[in-house]
Amino acid sequence: MSRKLYILLSLLVAVSMLLAACGAPAAEEPAVTEEAAASTGGETAAEPTFSGTATITFVQEPDSLNPLYTSMFFSGITRDFWLKGMWSFDNNNEPVLEIAAEVPSADNGGLSADGTTIVYKLRDDVFWSDGEPVTADDFVFTYDMIMSDANVVQSRYPYEDYVTSVTATDPQTVTVTFSEPFAAWLTTVFNYVLPKHVLQPVFDAEGTLDNAEWNKAPTVGVGPFVFSEWESGSHLIFTANPAWVNTPSLEQVFIRIVPDDAAQEAAIVAGDTDIGVFLSSDQIPTLEADGTVDVVAVSSGYDEGWFMNVNPETAHPAMLDVNVRKAVALATDRFTIINDLLDASINPVNATFWDGTAPYGGNVEPYPYDPEQAKALLDAAGWVDSNGDGTRDKDGVELVLRYITNTRELRKNVQAVVQQQWSLVGIGAQLENYSSDVFWNGYNDGGPQAQGIYDIAEYSSVGSFPDPEASANFLCSEISSADNPDGANWQGICDEELDALLNEQAVTLDVNKRIDLYHQIGQLMFDKVYYIGVWLDPDLWSINSRLQNVTLSGATPFWNAHEWTVAP
Amino acid sequence: MSTYILRRLGQAIPQLFIISIILFMLMQAFGDPVATLGARTPPKPEDKERLRRMLGLDQPPYMQYITWLVGNDWQQLDMDGDGVPETNGSRKGILRGDWGNSLVTRRPVMEMIGERLPNTLILMVTAEIIIIGLSLVIGLYSALRPYSFFDNLITGLSFVGFSMPVFWLALSLMYLFAVNFRRWGLPYLPTVGMFDPAVGKTPWELIKHMVLPVSTLAIISIAGYSRFVRSSVLEVLSQDYVRTARSKGVASRFVVWKHALPNAALPFITLIGLDIPFLLAGAVVTERIFAWPGMGRLFIDHTERADFPMLMGILMLISIAVVVFQIITDVVYSLVDPRIRLN
Repeated sequence: MSRKLYILLSLLVAVSMLLAACGAPAAEEPAVTEEAAASTGGETAAEPTFSGTATITFVQEPDSLNPLYTSMFFSGITRDFWLKGMWSFDNNNEPVLEIAAEVPSADNGGLSADGTTIVYKLRDDVFWSDGEPVTADDFVFTYDMIMSDANVVQSRYPYEDYVTSVTATDPQTVTVTFSEPFAAWLTTVFNYVLPKHVLQPVFDAEGTLDNAEWNKAPTVGVGPFVFSEWESGSHLIFTANPAWVNTPSLEQVFIRIVPDDAAQEAAIVAGDTDIGVFLSSDQIPTLEADGTVDVVAVSSGYDEGWFMNVNPETAHPAMLDVNVRKAVALATDRFTIINDLLDASINPVNATFWDGTAPYGGNVEPYPYDPEQAKALLDAAGWVDSNGDGTRDKDGVELVLRYITNTRELRKNVQAVVQQQWSLVGIGAQLENYSSDVFWNGYNDGGPQAQGIYDIAEYSSVGSFPDPEASANFLCSEISSADNPDGANWQGICDEELDALLNEQAVTLDVNKRIDLYHQIGQLMFDKVYYIGVWLDPDLWSINSRLQNVTLSGATPFWNAHEWTVAP
Repeated sequence: MSTYILRRLGQAIPQLFIISIILFMLMQAFGDPVATLGARTPPKPEDKERLRRMLGLDQPPYMQYITWLVGNDWQQLDMDGDGVPETNGSRKGILRGDWGNSLVTRRPVMEMIGERLPNTLILMVTAEIIIIGLSLVIGLYSALRPYSFFDNLITGLSFVGFSMPVFWLALSLMYLFAVNFRRWGLPYLPTVGMFDPAVGKTPWELIKHMVLPVSTLAIISIAGYSRFVRSSVLEVLSQDYVRTARSKGVASRFVVWKHALPNAALPFITLIGLDIPFLLAGAVVTERIFAWPGMGRLFIDHTERADFPMLMGILMLISIAVVVFQIITDVVYSLVDPRIRLN
């Protein structure tokens, strides 16, 4: 028997080794050669030297590297290494020119008087990593691919709704025309560009880019690093690109996929990774214990908040009274919740939806914790405990609010504390939790928010950071219903004054005027309690001290990767 | 025997067909693949609607199943959303060897499985060999010295090992041998992954990175398996034919190796036969914690995204493996035990 068992096991080992040999691709050589660098016309007198590896952990693996096919955060941030757009955003959220020669403005003639035409001037010293020049044709091709029905792209925003044409006036000039002035153009148009000379032949041959090899192995890019290797589930490697205008110092960037939060923490503490992401504030003491790791908070605009359902068709009748909504805010001690469950220095209570998107948030102070005032407001609104069951009621309707969120443990804990706090002023809470996919389902798929099966929904959200645009969520015309199942306004807000302000900001290209409009919008939504801020939700990153010159930004975190160095 | 194998394979076809229908029905409960698309904020409603149409998710479930089974290259699809089908379908269906494309990555399912399967097999087969080897040694030793100090010690440790949650054991090993050993200046093991990027992909790196995940898998499983071997051997050792052999003066070693062990091994072979197909499925928790890029993680990652073509691919592959290894187990059974005749 033992011999047969031995043979059987040997066979298994042999098969597994064979499969391993078949499946494990050999590490590819860096795609860029010095010839490519030389062909760019760049100075070759001093050959650049690269040294050191930056290791980064991602808790999720990118779906694809082609931006046409993914809107994942973890795919988007890799592009700071290998696929730049017109510009990046620095740690102050100011644009940093990458492919564009200048930021279009009225002064430099890049912005038409009516705001419907934007002319982008391209630098003439930017080359693809294979030495081909980046030209206006690449941007026209990118637009064509986004809009093509042959490509199952992830998102056509904002091109489908706002852009009427993209043309190459000359090799260094791209002209984009809009159907109406589009205020969010700075952050949403041409964040990336596709290499026409690589992908046009693929599209011509296959009729689509859906299956292009470039989607997983984009060996030609435009940035300080160039794609080298992606082993599914394991890692991605980007190596220094000598053809890029800002020559990097590092030899390579190694991104390891570590899906488990606790394992990522161990890897950071052990020094197996230089940059960690999506950390929570309770991990900070452990991570910083040895003094080799710094945890930094970087806002990418996200605020945890309560979105109040004020739709007369679906909301609890009490939710239609602004004083009841105000009482809900006053009855909730968000300050204690943060102290108990988070870190108040990182996650202070926010007042408006735009507090994380400076400077659009303004200086609104959050509602204080004042249960006595909450009780007075509820009494004045006619919500009293007439039947002595501990919960207020009016006209036979109990004041029990449906408070929904997803299944994240932190939010469940917040729900439990809030339920107890509300009970002190006589507000009942019906707590409900949905898995994320159900929580975000649309109207026709029975989404609880879209169909208004709630009174207060809690989640963390953002506009088009660092642009504040989020109008569709609050416009009267966007209320979701059976007649308008795609409507993005799931709160049922229909406020003429708010509509007017939102519509005005959407076509206001003057930045200062727009900031002022957003301050008015934030104040109005605060006064009418359409939104109650719970806490600011910046991204927490860990940086090991061996990796130097790292300055993260919220919109394009690795914008200065070319400046990173490894301590000797 | 070949008739028997052919008959069993013939029976497997309707079996797998029914399994595929049941699995596809279960997929409907996994959620909406375009609800979040993995992004931090949900997609715009018009993008969701367009994606549903282009990916065929707006079709009724039975049509999606038919497409998965036999393809859609015989029909036209409405890709531009004008209500008029104009584009030829491109799917061939699993019956023609097309396992579909992942909804998440848009890449062929079999290509993605092919990338992960070797990693899983390296990890799982290594662990399984260690588990089987040590379980046999420990179980046999315990059975030959029942209720001795060693047996009692192993029994106690088995219960500890068996009752430890995998994630707790994995993280404990990681913190002890990778984090604290490094702090204490001792030789240490890596935390996650398959190699250190500063060193590169070398066999030694692979072995170093396998130690902790393999140990995690082995500690949990050896605990149970060794108890199984012990009770099987103990049962056989009390049989009349063993007593007869011993009374005839046959050497004890000969009795154990030639009489007891082959008979005690039969149920163990059944257990291993059931285990082997699931080696393909990987170890979800262990792979996740040690960032091992195997099948378990592939499955769980795509479950979270309701990527039904990928899930169907993995589950059908395991189903096929279960059927095939059941047949192989039966054949091995007959080879080990001459009393069993397959025909």
